[in-house]
Amino acid sequence: MRKFCIYGKGGIGKSTIVSNMAVALAEDNKAVMVMGCDPKADATRNIVGRRIPTILDAFRNNGPDQMKLEEIVYKGFNGVYCAEAGGPEPGVGCAGRGVMTASEMLTRHGAFDQINPDVVIYDVLGDVVCGGFALPLRNGLADDVYIVTTCDPMAIYAANNICKGIKRFADRDEVFLGGIIYNGRSAINDPSIVDRFAKKLGTRVIGGIAMSGIIPKAEIRHKTVIEYEPDSEIANGFRVLARSIYGNQDRVIPEPLSDDELDKINEDIDELLKERENVAI
Amino acid sequence: MDGGKFFGAFRACSGISDAVVLNHVPVGCSWGAGMFKTVSNQPDIRHACTVMHEREIVFGGENALKEALVRADRLYDASLLLVVAGDVPSIIGDDIEAVINSVSLKKDVVWVDAAGFQGTMRQGYESALLSLADLMKECDRIQKSVNLIGLCQDDYKAEADIKEIKRLLNGAGISVNCVISDCTSRELERAPAAELNVVIGQGYDLARHMQKEHGVPFIEVGYPYGLAGTKEFVDSICQHMDMGYDLEKDLNTEPFRKVYLNLSELYGTPVSVIGDFHAKSLADFLDRELGFEIEVLSSVEGDPDQFEQDVKGSNTTMLFGSSFEQKIARDLKIPLLRFSYPVFDQVCIYDEAPYAGIRGAVCLTEAIINAIMGFGDKLENLTMV
Repeated sequence: MRKFCIYGKGGIGKSTIVSNMAVALAEDNKAVMVMGCDPKADATRNIVGRRIPTILDAFRNNGPDQMKLEEIVYKGFNGVYCAEAGGPEPGVGCAGRGVMTASEMLTRHGAFDQINPDVVIYDVLGDVVCGGFALPLRNGLADDVYIVTTCDPMAIYAANNICKGIKRFADRDEVFLGGIIYNGRSAINDPSIVDRFAKKLGTRVIGGIAMSGIIPKAEIRHKTVIEYEPDSEIANGFRVLARSIYGNQDRVIPEPLSDDELDKINEDIDELLKERENVAI
Repeated sequence: MDGGKFFGAFRACSGISDAVVLNHVPVGCSWGAGMFKTVSNQPDIRHACTVMHEREIVFGGENALKEALVRADRLYDASLLLVVAGDVPSIIGDDIEAVINSVSLKKDVVWVDAAGFQGTMRQGYESALLSLADLMKECDRIQKSVNLIGLCQDDYKAEADIKEIKRLLNGAGISVNCVISDCTSRELERAPAAELNVVIGQGYDLARHMQKEHGVPFIEVGYPYGLAGTKEFVDSICQHMDMGYDLEKDLNTEPFRKVYLNLSELYGTPVSVIGDFHAKSLADFLDRELGFEIEVLSSVEGDPDQFEQDVKGSNTTMLFGSSFEQKIARDLKIPLLRFSYPVFDQVCIYDEAPYAGIRGAVCLTEAIINAIMGFGDKLENLTMV
């Protein structure tokens, strides 16, 4: 079973990438399962076409023993199995513990044994804020992690922070960094910036997604790009990315950048911004 | 071994004998604290629990607390509800105050923030007493009266000790206005009527608060173990209240003469003592009055492993502590005399057999001698097992 998770700053496009990669891998006749680990519970919406009830909804309504597998795992486009951890309302309870509880419930109710997926993809909240959101990094739940980033300083900063969490668990041989996914959707679109960042971390950019108007069009209709425009260039981009990650064997213990090193990257981004302003004038 | 802030707060609150204590914690915390309390007074189960399960941890425990408040208000015949919020609500950020304010209850409610990880049992006790101080009201001073602060209902021998201390003080012409915390809510409310607060080992924050808010001065005293310790205890209080009273005339050394030979034999016995604030006073008694050699004296707030290591590296032939010291005593094959919280493997139901005061000195001496004399048989059984 190939298991990996996707991290990255909030709003960076993790769920778009996860849902399209899942559908793409399912096209290759793989049994794919996606688990959304964000309390917002919207990672799988474009695969199923609607929000699905969450594992924690079932846990709250029926208790840990009475919930049924069909209440927590739903089939979406191309037969992709989808589950959403869910979580408490913002500002109450412990969402981190919720991720752990949801994962336990999924295992306890035989999701992995009965479905026996070839691929499991975890779509995780924007940052490793506590132990709960680091769960997919632990206990062998995932083989490796892929971080989505744009050229924006805050996205790179968040990616670097996530690497600190990965390093902690990689040092214990629990999970490794598989690579960086470049998302070209930002004010500056210069892959060389993210290339340099990846190299400094000790990894590489495993693939990228270009900016495309098809993505929002598909998502407005609660569809993946592969379902909405299967023959588009962007759909093929997701297929290539999915296959790269599925077959990737290069895994490293990341070396997170220091503040000074991050500042250097930011200076380069600043230069590019100035150049763009000059061109505009 | 220190139980952390939650245990201290629970102990302070459960000493209000006509209040219901509602623990907002997972069931284990509530069960543990309650078990230590009810071992010697089994019908006294005045505590309820919100029984936080995983659902409450993930989604928040406010609904469970609300429901428990309403139920406790309806089911218990008590005027006061004391909510002790432990570790989990503190970690997940339950808004206890808001929940309490959102329900309409017949009972008064006081709550204590008592996350175990935020401090020691002693800090929990101090902080809970400060919360309880909100219940106190200004009232007319009662001359020659004191409050005893620092005691708990679940201290070993608490009932008998308090009875003996009251007897001694009454003999000196002093009345005990309120024992904190082993009192009713009405007594607590009227605690500011006392002329003096007598702080025995803990409860300093409350004493300082009462001095500032109600003008009640306080003194600090050791626990009255032994004849000398008891005399110092009573003298300190009488001196502060300008009362000429000499306890000397009440001291009866006759019982000690009866066991003169035993006491002579035991002179110089190397012992170790661990416990809360009781420990120092007990060690003074053992050292000054029985002539024991104190090998190791440790506080429960210290490192238990270090205590074990120190005791095992010493000549200790008898141990004084709590039920937690059973293992060390068993390993060393030496007797253990329980005197400090928690004691959960013995009961003390006879309120005329204290360890404190003049009568307590006799009972304590008898218990020590018997623990040593009977130990040969116990040791044989231990070895056979």
